[in-house]
Amino acid sequence: MCARCEEAPVLGWIDGQLPWWVIGPGVGLCVVALYGLADARLGVSGAWLATIARAEGWQPEPWRRSFLLALVVGSLGAALLGPPVTVHGYGRLSELLPPVLLVPVLLAVGLALGYGARWAGGCTSGHGLSGCAVASPDSLVTTATFFSVAVLVTLALHALTGGAL
Amino acid sequence: MSRRTRWAVLAVGAVFGFLLTASGFGDYETIHRGLLLQDGYIYLTMGSAVGTAFAGIALLRRRGRTASGAPLRLPRQRAERRHVYGGAVFGLGFGVGATCPGITVAMTTTGGLYGLVVLVGLLGGLRLRGWVEQRAARSLSTEPMLPAAQPVVSARRLSDVVPE
Repeated sequence: MCARCEEAPVLGWIDGQLPWWVIGPGVGLCVVALYGLADARLGVSGAWLATIARAEGWQPEPWRRSFLLALVVGSLGAALLGPPVTVHGYGRLSELLPPVLLVPVLLAVGLALGYGARWAGGCTSGHGLSGCAVASPDSLVTTATFFSVAVLVTLALHALTGGAL
Repeated sequence: MSRRTRWAVLAVGAVFGFLLTASGFGDYETIHRGLLLQDGYIYLTMGSAVGTAFAGIALLRRRGRTASGAPLRLPRQRAERRHVYGGAVFGLGFGVGATCPGITVAMTTTGGLYGLVVLVGLLGGLRLRGWVEQRAARSLSTEPMLPAAQPVVSARRLSDVVPE
């Protein structure tokens, strides 16, 4: 259960967190649809990458950038239908760190996500969902690696901060 | 890609963005508690997503063609070292920030405006990796591992045009 659901009464049309058996199969069908439409992996880092393609002097698949725009629109739609949106911090991380430290940490987080995703050729969606669903070896290796590292890093932070994180 | 297919791809993007956000993944706690192994939501979601996709793809395979009639290839790639290295760096960001490229969008649209900072970093990271790759490719091409004939040819040409 997410913390937000417990704090705020649900006033929107949909809960702040729909059950996994709605989200999971729904997302799975999105993956199938994109294979059926474009024979391509549904990947969000690839969509972000397409936004910097021109600056790097190459041409992405024409639908990648509009896919990102559609994703943002869909996300805004869910935000509108969900519990009232309030500007908030970054969970326990912003309780622990003042903004002057939090901003560089989050920049580093983004940097690691972008650098790693491009190095590995995909992220949680491209490898974790789409590639794993066709049992592609690159995706199985990437997904196993990033999940293991993320769990270890999180458990280590939890121990180092005495349970604050 | 036909106009109809293009619209269908957009619809998939919108539904995907909707679901990512309605999952509550944009809340730091959701993924963080999953990675602490205190909550199974992220694993159940990802597991059921991959399971559903696996079954759906089996049906697609039977059809053997995409919507536009092209043969369905379902691209697969072999695992290389870069998948381990890249996955490890990505996992570091995933662990510390409890977010990923798609979830950061959901975080931002639901009021977690620090997500914008992560997105700036994300674009920087993509760019940085591209720069490193380009640089590596260029330095490789100037290695003295090239066939011996090539420098000789270029030297002869150079001597033709450069006056002594």
